[in-house]
Amino acid sequence: MIRSKILLSLLGLLAGSAAAAPASRHDMFVVASINNGFVVGSKMVTLSGLFQRGADNSYGHFGLNFPFIVSLAVDPRDAKVLYAASINGVLCSTDGGQNWRIGTSWDMTEPKDVCVDPNAPDHIYLALPDGIAVSTDRGATWPRRENGLPERGKYTQAVRVDRTRAGRALAACESGIYLTEDTAGSWRRVFAAAATVTDVRQSPHDSKLWLATTQSDGVLASRDGGLTWKKFAGLPTAEAHYNVAFDATNPRRFAIGGWTYGVLVTEDGGETWIERNTGLPEGHCVFRVGIDPDNGRLFAAVYKDAVFASDDFGRTWRKDGLEGSLVYNFHFVPKSAK
Amino acid sequence: MKAPTLFLSALTVLAAAQLTAQPSFTAPAPASVVLKQADQRRAAYEARVDEVVTWRASLAKPGELLTDMGIIAAKLVRREDADLCSRSVIELMKDPGTGPFWMFPAVSVAYLGRDQLSPEAKKSIRDAWRKVMQVRGDTENHWAMYYTSLYLMSELYPNEPADSWYSGKNSAENLAESREYLIHWMDLATTVGQGEFNPTHYIGEYAIPMMFLAAWAQDPEMRIRGQMKLDWLLADLAENTLNGVLHGANARTDDTSVIERWNALASFFSWIAFGNTPPPAGYGGWGIYFAIAAKGYDVPEVIYRIATDRGDDFLQRDLKRTRRRWRNSDVLMAPIYKQNYTRRGYAVGSYQGGMADPIQTHVWDVTWAVPDPRGVHNTMFSMHPMSSGYDMQTYFTELPDQMIKGVTKEGKASYDSPDKFLGGSRFEQVFQDLDTVIALYDIPAGTRFPHINGFFSKDLVNLTVDPSGWIFAQGGNTYLAYRPLADYELKSIARIKSSWTGERSDTGDKILYSPHLKNGTIVQAAAAGEFKDFAAFQAAIRALSLEFKLAPVPTVKFTTLRGKTVVCTYGAAPVVNGQPVDYTKWKLFEGPYLNAEKGSRRLTLTHGHLERVLDFNTLTITDRVRAN
Repeated sequence: MIRSKILLSLLGLLAGSAAAAPASRHDMFVVASINNGFVVGSKMVTLSGLFQRGADNSYGHFGLNFPFIVSLAVDPRDAKVLYAASINGVLCSTDGGQNWRIGTSWDMTEPKDVCVDPNAPDHIYLALPDGIAVSTDRGATWPRRENGLPERGKYTQAVRVDRTRAGRALAACESGIYLTEDTAGSWRRVFAAAATVTDVRQSPHDSKLWLATTQSDGVLASRDGGLTWKKFAGLPTAEAHYNVAFDATNPRRFAIGGWTYGVLVTEDGGETWIERNTGLPEGHCVFRVGIDPDNGRLFAAVYKDAVFASDDFGRTWRKDGLEGSLVYNFHFVPKSAK
Repeated sequence: MKAPTLFLSALTVLAAAQLTAQPSFTAPAPASVVLKQADQRRAAYEARVDEVVTWRASLAKPGELLTDMGIIAAKLVRREDADLCSRSVIELMKDPGTGPFWMFPAVSVAYLGRDQLSPEAKKSIRDAWRKVMQVRGDTENHWAMYYTSLYLMSELYPNEPADSWYSGKNSAENLAESREYLIHWMDLATTVGQGEFNPTHYIGEYAIPMMFLAAWAQDPEMRIRGQMKLDWLLADLAENTLNGVLHGANARTDDTSVIERWNALASFFSWIAFGNTPPPAGYGGWGIYFAIAAKGYDVPEVIYRIATDRGDDFLQRDLKRTRRRWRNSDVLMAPIYKQNYTRRGYAVGSYQGGMADPIQTHVWDVTWAVPDPRGVHNTMFSMHPMSSGYDMQTYFTELPDQMIKGVTKEGKASYDSPDKFLGGSRFEQVFQDLDTVIALYDIPAGTRFPHINGFFSKDLVNLTVDPSGWIFAQGGNTYLAYRPLADYELKSIARIKSSWTGERSDTGDKILYSPHLKNGTIVQAAAAGEFKDFAAFQAAIRALSLEFKLAPVPTVKFTTLRGKTVVCTYGAAPVVNGQPVDYTKWKLFEGPYLNAEKGSRRLTLTHGHLERVLDFNTLTITDRVRAN
């Protein structure tokens, strides 16, 4: 297991940030790779993997130095229990990232997302390039749960659990969006996509409102808990949208990130959309957006450039840190999870 | 997209290779002599093994610690400088690499050093396997290396707890997972074929781990599996070489090897196992890791003979499979129907087109024999230069846009170059009948590079653009006729020489650039000795019946030089003498030398009276001398 002396422990970081920013109700974690010439087999000369944004706006690395982690999930009961989707499978830690175990075996590789059911935290969902696995024993075992998914077309980019109901989850797959209401005992397609659905998220304000980004079907909204989906008319569909973020401080604000279109925002619940790329590097190439639920600060990760932040929802941007990074995900974790 | 073409340290070794004597690399090409006596073959083999080890050990700089595990391995196998090796290992393990290209060299040092390294050095290796998470990678070769390495280290350190391994699993768990994967992989390869088939470089990433299993696995089952799979790989290599040079289709190759066919790690394996071609510079960088265990392995005579002792022309058909397709496909792995037709002076090889791998596939060529292949571009082919995020997403678990940009910086510099000669395409369909190839292209409008590239070597002579529409040329003792089916321009090119840097140089080669979406190429090869002279060959080709049209889809009806009437229509099964080709009947191997039924796990190797059966059902190797 990993006990890197150069890495700060998650516990230490949590303690430090809590003392410096008592008003903050969430911890901001960033899953990123800062990869200067690394190829498989070579030495790693930069820090990659998990970062936490501190109260002083710095990004502190913790846990494993590993360039191929793409998503993180935290047990809401215990912030020391972490699950990380990585090229090696799902990585599990029970001590805040000091030690890790590869939870899956050779038959599962390159998961793209991992998500804990907040109402049944022993249940963890894993989005795989060839389906979905669900652990119901806190990561000890990872059986596939694919009943109802097609034999082909089950490439899964993201999976999210409904925060209002245990066992209810939506999966963003190649062939569409799939819904389960029985802890993945069965899935049914609720939207048919032409190409991969890249993200699916639930509104923090309205549990019935879900948004999804896609590669070729634009950006979708569901106002009935994911049962039916409708495309936003004001958004382009020619190129891929990568992810969506809700503003927990303002129910009418959403942001979309993507390589071609950069940052797209709405401040009227999706009636109108505006590009907010002025101040981002030319060409923008946004890989991820995120919104701090405590203050509405908008973050945009520009591919292998840096994380940029905006306190006016994208009207102006400043470079915030993690220069040279490829950010796979922003995660905002309630501090109550201790 | 995490796969390097070569690990960086190998490049360092290759650079050093230019400075230190490598007898077989600098000597004249080996003569075509078949060593019939077992002791002669063995002595020659051991001499080659010693040459590699001696050379690599000689790269040590006096008075300095060793910074290359290949040198340490070489010294350990020579049982010299154990103290220096120990101190160097301790230093190297302070900052280990990560991933399979680091793991298997580390395994070699761990095993060779069992009775030579100091306890502190051994502990430093063991600690490295605790403290640094190893990247498993995303390719078939990564996993062969990763799981072989983890298997052997888990056997070397049994009964150790989970917190003493980077994986967080105990020795038994690591061992079980590794064993299960390796057997799964062998099952796949021996039933429906290897995914990364006949790679020009990655053959080492399979052959070396199998050599390690054969040499060091304690479990007799895994030891015999290693030996059998190594036999299998070398037999597959032998079948697909022409005087030691790997030719025809490759799941994976690179910008250099696809043109200078000899210049590949595969040539190291031909050289060391068969002695029938020069080794590449630095013995391919990785060659040392094969050599350090090679004396525990006997190259079976039947494989040696397949590589070196051929009489008649032969046609061999093999079944392979594509890399895993995560999306954009009805199947996880599509079958590859591969064939090669080999004569004394040239070979024609192909598969049916499409992508075996998203970046580095080579679909077909004619390769001709030359007395010394070093520096010779002895090949001819055409291809569609595909560059597509969609196709990358089929094989990679990435978002669409960054991949092309990323891959060009990861050792595949040519990927997004319109004048590249490397790669397959969904819009290419190929049919081969003996020494005739018909490649058809139906490229949708809007495709990034809407043209095809034909490769015309600097080493062709008598290049003649004939009013008939054929282009005639001679390579070695092979006459070549190339018929473009659409207008083209034949021009000089500063070709990409380095897959890593994208460095270009004017090598004297030419590109046939044809900017037409509906397109095609017919190539007919023949031995010069079949004709009175070059003019007679040209006359014979002109006399062949050829009808074709390009719309609505390319269609060719051609009577080959061998008298077959072939009808190829893009999107339809080829028809030969009125009979549609049925690929579903393709066997795992079928030919005079290698034979296996699909799904059988059983390969029969034959040459003359010699026969070896590799049976993965019973894990037995059976040799016999057949009666007439």
